[in-house]
Amino acid sequence: MDGITLESVTKSFGNKVAVKALTLSVLPGEVHGLLGPNGSGKSTTMKMVMSIVKPDNGKISLCGVDVLQKPIEAKRLVGYVPELPYLYEYLTASEYLDFVGTAYGIDLKTRRERVDELLKALQMNEHVNEIMSGFSQGMKQKIAITAALLHRPRALILDEALNGLDPRSAKIVKDVLQRLAGEGVSILFSTHVLEIAEAMCSRISIMNEGSLIAEGTVQELRSKAGMPGSTLEDTFLKLTGSEDTEKIVEALKL
Amino acid sequence: MNWSTVKSLATVLFKSYFRASRYGRRSLLSSPVVIVAIDLVLFAVPFGLLVYALPLVPADLMSSFRPVAVQSLVALPVILTSAVILAGILFELGQTGGLASSEAVNWLPVSPLEYVLASSVSMELTYSPFLFIGLGVTLPLALSFGESSVVPFFILISIVAYVWGTVIVEALRSVMNRISTTLYKKSGRLGVILRIALVVVLLVAVQIAFNPYILYAALSGIAAGVNLAWFVPVIWPSAAIVSFMAPDVVKASIFALLSLFFTFLIFGAATRLRAKYWSPIPITITLSTSTVYVPQGKSFLWLDSVAFAVASKELRSLARRREMARFLAIPVLLVVTSLLPVLTSGANPGKALSGVSIVLLAETSLILPMILSSISIGQEGNSISNIYMLPISADELVLGKLFLPWIFSGAGILAIALLMQFLAPVAAGQFLATLIAAALNILIQGYVGLGTGSRYPSFNVGPRARYLSFTGFIVGFALGGLATLAVLAPLILYTGTGLLTGLGGGSAASVLLTIILTLAVGAMLLVLTRYYCMRGVKKLFSSMEA
Repeated sequence: MDGITLESVTKSFGNKVAVKALTLSVLPGEVHGLLGPNGSGKSTTMKMVMSIVKPDNGKISLCGVDVLQKPIEAKRLVGYVPELPYLYEYLTASEYLDFVGTAYGIDLKTRRERVDELLKALQMNEHVNEIMSGFSQGMKQKIAITAALLHRPRALILDEALNGLDPRSAKIVKDVLQRLAGEGVSILFSTHVLEIAEAMCSRISIMNEGSLIAEGTVQELRSKAGMPGSTLEDTFLKLTGSEDTEKIVEALKL
Repeated sequence: MNWSTVKSLATVLFKSYFRASRYGRRSLLSSPVVIVAIDLVLFAVPFGLLVYALPLVPADLMSSFRPVAVQSLVALPVILTSAVILAGILFELGQTGGLASSEAVNWLPVSPLEYVLASSVSMELTYSPFLFIGLGVTLPLALSFGESSVVPFFILISIVAYVWGTVIVEALRSVMNRISTTLYKKSGRLGVILRIALVVVLLVAVQIAFNPYILYAALSGIAAGVNLAWFVPVIWPSAAIVSFMAPDVVKASIFALLSLFFTFLIFGAATRLRAKYWSPIPITITLSTSTVYVPQGKSFLWLDSVAFAVASKELRSLARRREMARFLAIPVLLVVTSLLPVLTSGANPGKALSGVSIVLLAETSLILPMILSSISIGQEGNSISNIYMLPISADELVLGKLFLPWIFSGAGILAIALLMQFLAPVAAGQFLATLIAAALNILIQGYVGLGTGSRYPSFNVGPRARYLSFTGFIVGFALGGLATLAVLAPLILYTGTGLLTGLGGGSAASVLLTIILTLAVGAMLLVLTRYYCMRGVKKLFSSMEA
């Protein structure tokens, strides 16, 4: 099976087990939501899929390529938008995208077409020759998304990729992701905005303290939480054991 | 004016200076109490030593010291002002561009006056060792030559001059911000080039200013020129001291009052400049007015397209990042530090220069490629994630990262070799052998530097970042130094000891032998250091836990 698969993947940082024996699969054509509280292991999981962080145990495969054995080959197939896109801020957008395009081995003609269409779609074409240090967070995010989509990846790893985007650009990115999924791209997508996850993801995995605690469609998750008809937010809070928010707000005595 | 805000902000700025620097959070220096304790020691040690030692100097010798003592007293205020200005500007140049815009003070209710005052106070504390060392050295001289009456006045005036330095730095920060904003907005690439040139000139100026020979000449010049240049404000504190020692109380009072007046004047100017020109918003630099994307990407010389993309990125990093520009000044600084003592010593420069030549080429072919390659990993900072997430192999990264250190060092060495050949010519054969040894050393040091930089990177990109851990610095220079000695050994044997000169049946043959030996040692070291480098880079790729 192609797509993204993780089998019994574990990762520890010192005494802290960040990810515990995680088994997860993202099918081709699927937008798979990865939800969880802060520090639950989502970003570590995504970094392991990108072979940025090495797992202690387990196996990760990306479109049939073993990530641990052939990291460079695997990276050619995937686009990644990290939680905080650290771009080379002393480069112009055009120079950065050239660097990324060259690393992915995209020929000049294709690169021009792709960069033009992506930057126009995200309303960044006017800024193509500006040094990125002056960009806002949203503008940097748009460049990171453009870079991730540049080489027509077969899989996408998006770590809170819609953060900082204006509503129009966020809508465009969401539509692009749905279209890419329709073309068979596997998308692993993390977000804290549960409405976006509910609207976009065909399946959702919820992590808590490094472990996968639930997986399925939104309906299946509601059933598992014993809350049919509830919102995804209530379902999430119930499954992660953090439904006592009202008491906390009361205790604040605002 | 809210004095508690000023006090609190001054403490914050002082602590940030040390904590944001390479010393990090653990630095003991980030405590004002520790700095004051250090100041007292820095004052007490030279003061105690001189008070003890000066009475032991024979009277006839002592009388020849008197002009030096007077020069020191007169020149200290000017030296303090310029030392603080230079240190302040160098710190400013070492800061990353984005840091200033993220300062909380920009969105807190702090007035320009409060900020300038707090920032000046924090700088006064930071650079206070200058003042205390200066006083620790000059006061015993004043006391020994019976000038004890001038001491209180001298201390007061020195403090005023010291404060000038900090306030002028504040004013310059706003002006520099304004100039760089305007320059960048309007001139794009030209602005980048001008900034590099400015940094190089500034660093060389600092080097020259603190050269002992130049410093002595300046001391004499200031002391002699005080009366001639009385209308220049920076001279007023010195003029006050000269007048006091004359003794001319009226003139001394006038210059002292003028100095105080000037303090308020520059304070007002710094506050106005801060209010008017300080823009916390990062500027957008447009390198081309075109909004059309033109893809670039090609192979070049021995670099494939990916390695060339990495090399281009490195070049842009070196040229465009304010905190990186200082590395471009290295070859000029090496030349200046090596040649200045020879050219200002008064000895026969031709003879001395021939000795300097090989040392200069050896240190340049070691230091320049070593520094440029060893910082190339750490200077990525958080953006190293790009290297990790893109399909870039270790081979491509090594070639891309080493291209700039090799080419830049090669050009630097060639320029220095030609300069030295012009100043102190040697035979063509020896010149060729020197060039070969230096070229091989550049290649070797590139590998050693990158191998070390990938093993011991420092991804801290704050002010005065080193981009290489202290351990890495020691390891890199130890390995690099040994390799330099090895690769230059045949040349040293040929030129220094003459051991190879008589071998092989003549001058040409002995030069040839030197070249062959250099090539053999160099080739062996290239293989070894390339292995060291590749292992380091592969290790970096396999331990990316960022």
